[in-house]
Amino acid sequence: MTLPRNLLKRSLLSSLLLLAVYAEGAETGSRPVQVKIGTILASNESDQFDARLKPMERQLKVMKYRSYRLLKEDSQAVPWNDNATFEIPGGRSLAISPQDTKDKQIALKVRLTEGTKPLLDTTVRLQNQGYFLLGGPPHEGGALVISISAFAP
Amino acid sequence: MSNCETTRETIGAWLDGELAAAQAEATGRHLEVCAACREERHRLERLHSTMRLALEANGSEIQFEPFWQGVQRRIARKRNWYDELGDRIRGTFNAPRLAWAIPAVIVIVLAGLSINSFFPNAKIGIQSDNLATVESIDAYGRNVALLHEGETNTTVIWLYQPQESENDSSTEPSQTKPSF
Repeated sequence: MTLPRNLLKRSLLSSLLLLAVYAEGAETGSRPVQVKIGTILASNESDQFDARLKPMERQLKVMKYRSYRLLKEDSQAVPWNDNATFEIPGGRSLAISPQDTKDKQIALKVRLTEGTKPLLDTTVRLQNQGYFLLGGPPHEGGALVISISAFAP
Repeated sequence: MSNCETTRETIGAWLDGELAAAQAEATGRHLEVCAACREERHRLERLHSTMRLALEANGSEIQFEPFWQGVQRRIARKRNWYDELGDRIRGTFNAPRLAWAIPAVIVIVLAGLSINSFFPNAKIGIQSDNLATVESIDAYGRNVALLHEGETNTTVIWLYQPQESENDSSTEPSQTKPSF
């Protein structure tokens, strides 16, 4: 029975190695946060609903517009306490800085500007992989709705 | 070439001629070059020889009949269900199977835990409670609305811009304000 015992010993060692590799990789706080921005044009000019927005249809319809169209999507890996800037149609930009993580929630500092003029500063704590909507800036006869999501590996 | 560990595990079977041809050849080649394993081979050969001599000298005195009757009794005996179950369990959880099963289970569990790392956009593992908490907000004098909609777990920050700052000439007031 020496061979099976050796096999078992080796398998246990390789399992421990796997766990060690996973624990090393799972260490959070050092890996950047994946921030994803979707810019959506909400308007009442038609009844068109962009098929790419289907997964968040119910959430968008909270705002009672008739039409929703995805204008652009952008994703960046942003290190903690650093910030990334996303261009938003209409000469606007959105600066996002992940602040910290607590109870599986990520605090994001968000600043929306139009040219050099600040429009909004906010800090939002959202679930890992969760998102929130920032809307209001007028654009092409409707309003922009920006979906902001974050994922900390 | 087989190493010392493997050779010592198989040397007994090699002496008895029970190994497959390739394995027997590898063991033989290793024994030619490894003095330690050769010594192990000689030790086993001496043991075999001693046992054979002892058996030849005293074999006729050994009473095999009671032993054989015991074996027959055990073969004939109807086994209890729990003995059968015990054997099945022992067969299922024997060492070679466990050797594969342990890392396989660990890989599956880790894959489950890591799936979001590989597929950040996948729906798997998304929190059912998606409500975000707004810790601070400054709209630089503009009106702002904050909506938490429980049914769809949606958080919306709505920025009302004064008409004079709207840079899109086509915008009508009624179209930029949602009715929530």
